[in-house]
Amino acid sequence: MFNKETENINIKEAETVIGPSIKVKGNFHGQGNIIIEGQVEGSIKTNAFLLIGNKSIITASVEAKNAKVGGIITGNIKIDEYLEIGPSANIKGDIEVKSISINKGAIINGRIVMGAEKSAEK
Amino acid sequence: MLKNQRKNNHFITKMYIYIYDIYVSEKKYESTIARIETRITDLGLNGKIIRLSVMSSLFETIKNELKKGAKTITVVGNDSILNQAITVIAKLLPANGAFKNVPLGFIPVGKKNNSLANFLGLELEENACDALSARRIKYINLGIANNNHFLTHATIPTTGTILEIDKTYTIEISEPGEIGIVNLLKDEALDNNSGAKNQKGILELSIKTKTAKKYLPLIKEYGERSVFSFKNLTVINKKLPITLDNSLEIPSPINISLAEEKLNIIVGKNHQF
Repeated sequence: MFNKETENINIKEAETVIGPSIKVKGNFHGQGNIIIEGQVEGSIKTNAFLLIGNKSIITASVEAKNAKVGGIITGNIKIDEYLEIGPSANIKGDIEVKSISINKGAIINGRIVMGAEKSAEK
Repeated sequence: MLKNQRKNNHFITKMYIYIYDIYVSEKKYESTIARIETRITDLGLNGKIIRLSVMSSLFETIKNELKKGAKTITVVGNDSILNQAITVIAKLLPANGAFKNVPLGFIPVGKKNNSLANFLGLELEENACDALSARRIKYINLGIANNNHFLTHATIPTTGTILEIDKTYTIEISEPGEIGIVNLLKDEALDNNSGAKNQKGILELSIKTKTAKKYLPLIKEYGERSVFSFKNLTVINKKLPITLDNSLEIPSPINISLAEEKLNIIVGKNHQF
């Protein structure tokens, strides 16, 4: 289901790992893969892969190249390429993405703008 | 002949400076020191020995010997004197760039508080002398916490600690555990390469909590750890100090970054970075 990049992500390849007992406040911008299992308030941005775990609580705008998300996310999500939304995800915000996969059980309250529509709008 | 020998002795004395920490003068280390000195002589590395006392200053001692033209400064003791010597040399470097050519050697004495020896690939006591003889020198980056330099890492408990990275975001930790700021320390669990990171001017922040549950199924191992990279870190803890290189404690607030100064240090062949 995942592409090769997302399948192989693990802690050894991640530039940043935010564990379950961690709360980050502010603008969190990185260049490498990011794994989030804790809480983030502010903004998250990376040029690489972003993994948001099932128990994460995110109150932030989210930008990444590819992402797999679960947990509670309040904020807009912008993904350059591929986004997988897990069954535990509860998203309040707009999503802008090139391609997407949504698992059964996921809750999304917001607009989804796909690659084609994005091009058309331009 | 005698004149030449005196000349050679003088040259040797100038070449190698050995600075003994206060505790190695205790009677229980008498035979250890004798073995070290014998090995040093056997290897042809004998030089000037300076025994620190309560009244002597390591800063002044090293400064004077460097000014006199010391070619190698070797400290004999534990993590504490090594950390102090690193800070002293790093502070002297801006005044005289030539000091960077003087490598720092280390002979660890006693098993207590000597964790850095293993990291540097040095065996204990007289066995460390072989590394001095081999003169395998590494030019390494140092971390700096306020005005104190550190070689490997700094640690502080998570309880009551607030971290601010690059003045853009803060980190709060809700579980008890330990925060490690890594300059040069290979972490087997992460399979990281902090040495490569710090070549880019980046240090690593590693947070280990004790009660955190496992991560996602995708991350089966090392589930109690968080990792960040940074250039500048501010550590605030109103009650607890931060510990540098397992030896020096300094109170908060603490600003940590990669130091501008680099240091030549003699390592063993099994050094871990």
